[in-house]
Amino acid sequence: MTSWPPLLVLFVLTPLVGAVLTPAVSDASGRRSWEWALGTMLLTSAMAGALIMRVLDEGPFSYVVGGWVAPYGIELRFDEFSAFVAVVCLLGLLAVIFSRHYARDALAPGRIPYYYTLLLLNMTGMIGFIVTGDLFNLYVFMEILSLSAYALVAISGEKTAEMAAFKYLVMGAVSSLSILFGVGLLYALTGSLNMADVTGRLAGSAEAPLVLAFAALTLGFMVKSALFPLHIWLPDAHAIAPSPVSAVLSGLVVKVGILGMLRVYQIAYGSGAIDLSGLNLMLTWLGAISIVMGAFFAVFQDDIKMMLAYSTISNIGYIVMGLGLASPYSLIGASVHVFNHALIKATLFLGAGALIHQTGRRTLTGLAGVGRSMPLTTAAVSIGAISIVGIPPTAGFLCKWYIALGAMQAGEPLFAVALVFGALLIFVYYIRMVNAFYFRKPQEAGAPAVHEAPATMLVPVLILAALCLVMGVLGRLPLSFIEPAVTRLLAPLGGG
Amino acid sequence: MEVVDARVALAPAISLLCGALVFAAADNTFWRRFWSVSAALAKLGIVMSMLPGSLRGVVYTFDLVEFTPGVGLAFRADALGMFFSVVSSTLWLFTTVYAIGYMEREPNRRRFFGFFALCVSTTVGVAFAENLLTMFLFYETLTICTYPLVIHDETPEAMRAGRTYLVYTLTGGAFVLLGSIWTYQLAGTMTLSQPGILSMEAGRTTLTALFVCLIAGFGVKAAIMPLHGWLPTAMVAPTPVSALLHAVAVVKVGAFGVLRTIYNVFGVELLRELGVCDWLAALAAVTIVTASIIAIFQDNFKRRLAFSTISQLSYIVLGAALLSPLAATAAIVHIANQAFAKITMFFVAGSIQRTTGKTTIHELAGIGYRMPYTMGAFTVAALSFIGIPLFAGFVTKWYLSLGALESDRWIYALVMLGSALLNAAYWLPIVYTAFFKAPHEEVVVQEAHWTMLGPTLACAAYVLLLGMTVSVPGMPFALAQAAVTFVFGM
Amino acid sequence: MIDLLWDNLDYAASMVLFCIGLYAVITRNNLIKKFMGLNIMETAIFAFIVALGVVDGGNAPIMGEGAAKPFINPLPQALILTGIVVAVSTTALALSLVIRIWRQCGTIEADELREAE
Repeated sequence: MTSWPPLLVLFVLTPLVGAVLTPAVSDASGRRSWEWALGTMLLTSAMAGALIMRVLDEGPFSYVVGGWVAPYGIELRFDEFSAFVAVVCLLGLLAVIFSRHYARDALAPGRIPYYYTLLLLNMTGMIGFIVTGDLFNLYVFMEILSLSAYALVAISGEKTAEMAAFKYLVMGAVSSLSILFGVGLLYALTGSLNMADVTGRLAGSAEAPLVLAFAALTLGFMVKSALFPLHIWLPDAHAIAPSPVSAVLSGLVVKVGILGMLRVYQIAYGSGAIDLSGLNLMLTWLGAISIVMGAFFAVFQDDIKMMLAYSTISNIGYIVMGLGLASPYSLIGASVHVFNHALIKATLFLGAGALIHQTGRRTLTGLAGVGRSMPLTTAAVSIGAISIVGIPPTAGFLCKWYIALGAMQAGEPLFAVALVFGALLIFVYYIRMVNAFYFRKPQEAGAPAVHEAPATMLVPVLILAALCLVMGVLGRLPLSFIEPAVTRLLAPLGGG
Repeated sequence: MEVVDARVALAPAISLLCGALVFAAADNTFWRRFWSVSAALAKLGIVMSMLPGSLRGVVYTFDLVEFTPGVGLAFRADALGMFFSVVSSTLWLFTTVYAIGYMEREPNRRRFFGFFALCVSTTVGVAFAENLLTMFLFYETLTICTYPLVIHDETPEAMRAGRTYLVYTLTGGAFVLLGSIWTYQLAGTMTLSQPGILSMEAGRTTLTALFVCLIAGFGVKAAIMPLHGWLPTAMVAPTPVSALLHAVAVVKVGAFGVLRTIYNVFGVELLRELGVCDWLAALAAVTIVTASIIAIFQDNFKRRLAFSTISQLSYIVLGAALLSPLAATAAIVHIANQAFAKITMFFVAGSIQRTTGKTTIHELAGIGYRMPYTMGAFTVAALSFIGIPLFAGFVTKWYLSLGALESDRWIYALVMLGSALLNAAYWLPIVYTAFFKAPHEEVVVQEAHWTMLGPTLACAAYVLLLGMTVSVPGMPFALAQAAVTFVFGM
Repeated sequence: MIDLLWDNLDYAASMVLFCIGLYAVITRNNLIKKFMGLNIMETAIFAFIVALGVVDGGNAPIMGEGAAKPFINPLPQALILTGIVVAVSTTALALSLVIRIWRQCGTIEADELREAE
């Protein structure tokens, strides 16, 4: 079963078909569409499990759609970086479960089926983006992903949400065009769209268009991943979207930019046609600035989701800095942080969603003392906070450790300093949050009695919080998993 | 000889468990007290059960979890760690009993005792840390666990003090983390089981920078000037917390970290070659004198104690920085000596505050007649700080001066002498005020509750014992000597 | 230089279009105009990619009577068809957002919307 070739295609098609059919199976209460989306996600997750088993056994593999071999046909590829689909499916599944009560209370009933459609479409785009081996398909899946994300931000129907969605859409569309331009240039240079094929043919191309192509791709992915100073769309969009959507956006959708950059690196390093040291230097600096600026802005937020959104910018900074340093340790750290940050940020956003749903308040002042009435949720959020700061033995620690070690390895201790003090700033605002939960008295005496969220909201949050701990203790599993991929990536450089 | 033994991990774990049980006990006073006291006893029992083995030279180790090869959480009870954990476990028991009496009518007792237990858990965790990472983890956790204790009153002043505390200690923690990463990069390991893991190959500049990084990190909690600012402001905390912060947990963890940095990360040989310790010794000497002078002008009892703490902690730093075996003995022994004497004083300050409501020194006229035992204990501690023979503080000063002479730095022997005079200048007026000034009101003997008086007297007794004989039961001088032998390769 | 430009006039034209579009996106205050700028950018990129497939004197690559080499590369055109679909979806979504913003706020001028916030 695990090595049945078409599974990879079905894996992409399942959520797509599920998405299209959701409105058709829906009933008035939206309950049926929830069940349908849940079933789709369960099936997709099972497939993801099977595929990951296979990559563990055999290493990277690919499937050629319709028997047309590269460079003409469409190739789907599954390698270690693709294992990110595990997190995609997990978060997608938990977001769907979480949405059952959340969507019912937060959205107009008529929109609920479409909400699940968009969520599943988003998953389709994400999965397709990760497993495709073709540059143009990369663009198409990215657009599926982005369009559904714009719509999901706006779905609550509030005017601020729609304005945030519009801002997100304009920046997202410009960045997509930049990426399409880069893809076009690469096609012009090589006559191929298959990534492996492009890599092979790039050597000896003229330098100017090559640099332009990589610059366009990187710029596009930088906007998608909200790297400072191209982050301005992110805080509003992530803070205003419904919480399960925020979790998916922050945990997964921004990672598209990162995974895209990883693909670009695979092509650039593999072909050896271009020297990326200038780009690396820029990314390292921008990463460091993102860490500090993201943390700095977050400190002044009172809105809990706004704070989390800025924290995403910081964490993207960590990952990009790790990429830019381009030493084996930092790349391992950055790749694993792509996984772990998804888990941690989803814990935080879903937890925050549960808090907001139950209390009706979203500011730290408003949430004062909520630790007394919702101990489980606040405990989970606190674990997420500890984890994102990077305190051992939680999931966030090892990644930051490796990135810092990578900075030392690359002979750039200053960036390790930026990392550590960025973490310190992040610590400061999470302490504010924990402070508000536990050490401040509730503001109004006559506030309505608050209790824990229903199981469909509480359980996903608890599962994710537990994973934050487990991934910390078993941290070496993802590390050893991603190591061969990083070694392969750096092999042409003679490093690693 | 190294033995794998789960007791090393159990010692921190038991306080952790106690913290959890206290939180679980909700508002049930009996169970809260029961768990607190029995955990304190159990922990002391565990630590003491390892003591005979430790004295024979056995080193207990336990690897808890390994994230990746070479990076993990591991415990190791060597002589230095055992010494520190014996001190902190003993004092935890006393402080717990005291706190039960002191906190009688305070709100939020559950939170208080819960985090109190966690603090001690992390302190022993630092003592038993096998590598820098484990040490960093517990060092930071300690910061987080003491924060709720500092802001216990939840007044604006307390919140402000809590913020100052966090800013200082978290920044320090960041430096420690940076230093740990750096050490790992340079040495390929972070273990604290060797007498030095770095070598001159790394280059003089790098090593100096790393030394500054680690010392700055640990120096925040050890309150080396100018990193001491958090300590006096944190005095708003309830007195048992001040006692815990200033005698056992927080500050000693900082001093302990400095010792570990000097002896186990860099190693004595390397530091002699590097020459950075002269600067550290000079800084410590300046701190000793300056803090003492500031202390003279404090009228608030607890603030005077705080500045005295700053001064006393630098004895440990100075002892370590002199890099001579005798001074090192002094540094290690002073962990215990200062702890017992200072905790006695804090207990006294707390007892006076609870019984009479007085917090400033000029109000204390004649208090010696009202609370004779309490003030008697205070006098013992004061004499110890001044360094009168037969009191614990004398041992430190004696060895430290010998160490200074041994390493041909007689100036530090003079600093010891000057410090003794300054100590006299700020402790004796309190004794004088208490016993020889006419009281403002009618004298009625009114001691604190036994739960507060008992620990006070016990600690004072220890101060005397430690001064009179070097073989106090359960407070082994031999361990300090074993640690010194190990790090100096004698 | 001029020759180079003349030879690559199609590429140069699409670059100029792209810049016009980007200028509109950045400077226009009206959301619709902003979006029209985006559409111009899209057109520029599409034109650029289609131009990649052009072969001088080439014929449409349709099999059957009259088919003669050289053929124009059909792949870019096929790609751009997909690209146009994406662009249309984006436009539809953007316009529906603009309509909703208009209904709720009564304006689609960016500065007035910021004030209203």
